[in-house]
Amino acid sequence: MDLVAGRYTSQERRPIRHLDLMLVLVTAAIVVAGFFLLYSATKTTLIGENQGQFARVQKQIVTAAIGLVLMLLVMSFDYRFLKVYAGFIYAGMIVTLLLVRIPGIGSTAIGDASAAQRWFAFGGFQVTPSEFVKVGLIVMLAAVLSELRSPIPTLNDVLRVCAIAAVPMGLVFLQPDIGTTIVLLAIVGGMLVVAGTRPRQLAALAVATIVALALAFQLGVIKDYQLARLTGFLDPTADTQTTNYNRNQAEIAVGSGGVLGRGYGAGTQTNLDFVPEQHTDFIFTVAGEEFGFVGSAIFLGFYAILLWRAIRIAYLSKDPFGTYLATGVASMFAIQMFVNVGMVIGIMPITGIPLPFVSYGGSQMLANFVAIGILLNVHMRRFK
Amino acid sequence: MEKASSRLKVLALFVALMFAALGTRLWFLQVLASEQFRVEADNNQTRVAETDALRGRIKTADGKVLVDNAPSLEVRVDKQVLEASGEADRVLLDLSNLLQIPVKNLRASMNDPKYFDYQPKPVAEFVKENVDKYISERKDQFPGVEVVPTSVRDYPQGREAAHIVGNVGLIQKEQLADPHYRGYGQSDLVGRTGLELQYEKYLRGTKGQQKVIVNAAGDTVKTLGAAPPKPGNDLILTVDSKIQHAVEGELYRGLQNARTQVDEAGGKGLLLKAPAGAAVVMDVKTGGIVAMASYPSFDPRWFVKGITPDQARYLYKSAQAPSVDRAIGLTYKPGSIFKPLVALAALKEGYASTSGYYACPAEWIAPGDTSGAVFTNWSSTDLAPMNVAESLRTSCDTVYYQFGYDFWNGWRRDSFGTNNEPFQRDLRQWGFATPAPVDLPGSQAGVIPDAKFAADHPDIYPDGWIPGGDVLLSIGSGDTLVTPLQMASAYSALANGGHVCRPHVVDKIVDDHGSVVKTVGGHCDTQLPYTPAQLNYVDAALQTVTTSGTASSAFAGFPLSTYPVAGKTGTAERPPFQSTSWFSSFAPANDPRYAVVVMVEQGGYGSQTAAPIARHIYEHLFGLSVSGNVYGGAAD
Repeated sequence: MDLVAGRYTSQERRPIRHLDLMLVLVTAAIVVAGFFLLYSATKTTLIGENQGQFARVQKQIVTAAIGLVLMLLVMSFDYRFLKVYAGFIYAGMIVTLLLVRIPGIGSTAIGDASAAQRWFAFGGFQVTPSEFVKVGLIVMLAAVLSELRSPIPTLNDVLRVCAIAAVPMGLVFLQPDIGTTIVLLAIVGGMLVVAGTRPRQLAALAVATIVALALAFQLGVIKDYQLARLTGFLDPTADTQTTNYNRNQAEIAVGSGGVLGRGYGAGTQTNLDFVPEQHTDFIFTVAGEEFGFVGSAIFLGFYAILLWRAIRIAYLSKDPFGTYLATGVASMFAIQMFVNVGMVIGIMPITGIPLPFVSYGGSQMLANFVAIGILLNVHMRRFK
Repeated sequence: MEKASSRLKVLALFVALMFAALGTRLWFLQVLASEQFRVEADNNQTRVAETDALRGRIKTADGKVLVDNAPSLEVRVDKQVLEASGEADRVLLDLSNLLQIPVKNLRASMNDPKYFDYQPKPVAEFVKENVDKYISERKDQFPGVEVVPTSVRDYPQGREAAHIVGNVGLIQKEQLADPHYRGYGQSDLVGRTGLELQYEKYLRGTKGQQKVIVNAAGDTVKTLGAAPPKPGNDLILTVDSKIQHAVEGELYRGLQNARTQVDEAGGKGLLLKAPAGAAVVMDVKTGGIVAMASYPSFDPRWFVKGITPDQARYLYKSAQAPSVDRAIGLTYKPGSIFKPLVALAALKEGYASTSGYYACPAEWIAPGDTSGAVFTNWSSTDLAPMNVAESLRTSCDTVYYQFGYDFWNGWRRDSFGTNNEPFQRDLRQWGFATPAPVDLPGSQAGVIPDAKFAADHPDIYPDGWIPGGDVLLSIGSGDTLVTPLQMASAYSALANGGHVCRPHVVDKIVDDHGSVVKTVGGHCDTQLPYTPAQLNYVDAALQTVTTSGTASSAFAGFPLSTYPVAGKTGTAERPPFQSTSWFSSFAPANDPRYAVVVMVEQGGYGSQTAAPIARHIYEHLFGLSVSGNVYGGAAD
């Protein structure tokens, strides 16, 4: 053991030697596949609007390039510094979430039911703070959990973690951005599980969350259209033309793909705009329709590899902070992938969660690259 | 982190479950249920725009167009577009002023449940061209409003042959569900009655189709293919417009004339009512109907704009129900016009012979009958015994009572074996008791009563099939019921040597290039079981009816030597109403061409009302000068 460790210790100065190449490749595969799906989803509309047919893909490629730079930046320093600055990150996160609510500084699309998020407008780009809140919360919780005294979190510890998570979560929920709230819940849940929280306490937390959500619905915090999408999930035959139009069209698109798909660029549902929000939340329909079951399975396989690598990194890390960071990132990607694809194929309610690296949108792309950067960082410096 | 590794397995398990759930669902959608989704995807993107085909025309044998198409400008309103414009009230008010239609009515048309919501709904037809121009030039003032050229039925000959051609109407809900009407749309016109109904599949044509691919907004992205509409086939009738026109006129004139005369058959000194009647002219060699009229009639043009409540009441609810074609759609007691057919059955079965003489008393009682049932002749005095020919000329009932009784006796003794009703069987062979196989809807069967009929109607025949049944059948009375068309078919067979032809109104069906798609007539296969001698004997006897018999007054002055008419009068009692007046005939008797049958409800004696109408019809048929009203005399 010592011998082996000693051999590796000699290489510790050059963390790049420990790059998780597999994770890099699979991320690249997802991002590039995303460009192709996005092109197919947006081509007809853009031509119809007399814009260049590559307009959106180009913007997405630029964003991905920026994301790549951010990722390298995150990899360049030891991830343990994050623990030091976790409090600042957390505080900055809360401040931005509050700022974005101030009219004139933050923006929201009033009357546009599909855009519930709030953002800051920087030139031609929209920065959605709630995307970065996911990563910020992971860092903060990892810092808190890694500093716990007892091997198993006490009730006090759990309550502290919950209180820390509740502040940004509440602000996101009030935007109202149910999708991101769900992702944050999953991050907290995943990290608490790995931290060894007692099952009884986890169950109590789950109940408390459900009660809080029910209360929020009762008090009218949730907008009608969001409620309608959630209840539409329970009764898909009701009112096809309005609430369930999206999910029916999405199912038709995915189902009509069959085993081998209709061929790239040949999906009628895709090309004729039958699936709304096709380049953002419903982009998986393109994979389903044009590449069929085989293509969808391969595509989901990329995510499976990504998640395997993330959990593996959590496992390999000798440092609890690294383990918790990787756990949080894995939870984040898993829940986003599952809820997004599940909503497209009709087993999850429509909540507006983007498909990581694929849905059109700058903030999620950047935030996800940062998350991958954290994973790679933990992997590179796992022996220290 | 030993503990953490086992907890990471919990996390990994969660993730694995997620993939399992997604994979299962994808398997269901893309492998198991894919076909259904493929269909839905195709339905999503393809729309078929249809253009109506011009309906086939209906023309007479002499080339007159009975039913044509006329263009009509129709105003249609797309409710969804109109309401989306937010100016619905203003637009409807403008439209109301322009079309002179109350807003209330416009709204009612727009909410017509016959149409789907996405279909533009017609609110006005036959609008003037300047309305079209006005609306077209101000499109933005009339959102959702369009003026569309459509086609409606047109009747250049007016009321002529109204019962034959029938009418079209909007397809009905039940029809849409009927597999016969597969491919029809919600707003399609279909034949409702007459030839329009009978030949719907030929007249209809094929709609033009334009298949397009649309996007989610409904905009056309690409046209896949277009097929122009194919007009329906034209019907060329056996009906001759000139004769049809003349027959309708003569039927009307005869009825008018009858109403000025006393009902001599009724004997109460009342005027004849003669409210209704029918006349059929048939080509005896083919069964082709040269003319067929039913009175009272109606104007097919009423249906073009939709019948008014008054017209509906007149057509369907009034006592005479003018919508009914009396030539085929109602049954009547034939009376004495049945006698030639009975005589042939009696000659064939040996109850009569051409050389025999038969008693013609004023009254006849069935041998051995003590019930007091007395059957009377039309004459109250006993006439001298006569042969069969004479019995036809003078229409002696009592001679036929005996024949009927003889048939009944044979049946009772079962002397005919298993097929023991030769009387009924022979009469049915002429085409009775079964709907005339004419190419028109609504043909009625009528009744030739027999033992089974008696068993089915114990209220009329409490003692079963008694002699009176066959006795009354022998003079076409009792429960016997026929249609005028069946009589025309039978007399055609009498004229052509015993061939019963399938009656038909359509001669041929031609497509829009004039090539024949189908020929309808030419079915004269049934051969009646009578010898030429028997048929000739009866034909000769029927000629004496017009020269010196019951119809001689009606045919007084008619050139019978050039155009001999073989005919038979009939006066069917129908208490409490006045008798049904019949004349059934064919001519020229030496080389028969036409069978003419006239029936007048409550027209009294056959000689009095029906025979003179037939005489005038022959005058038209043979191009003779048409005589004024003739008095046909009071003869059965």
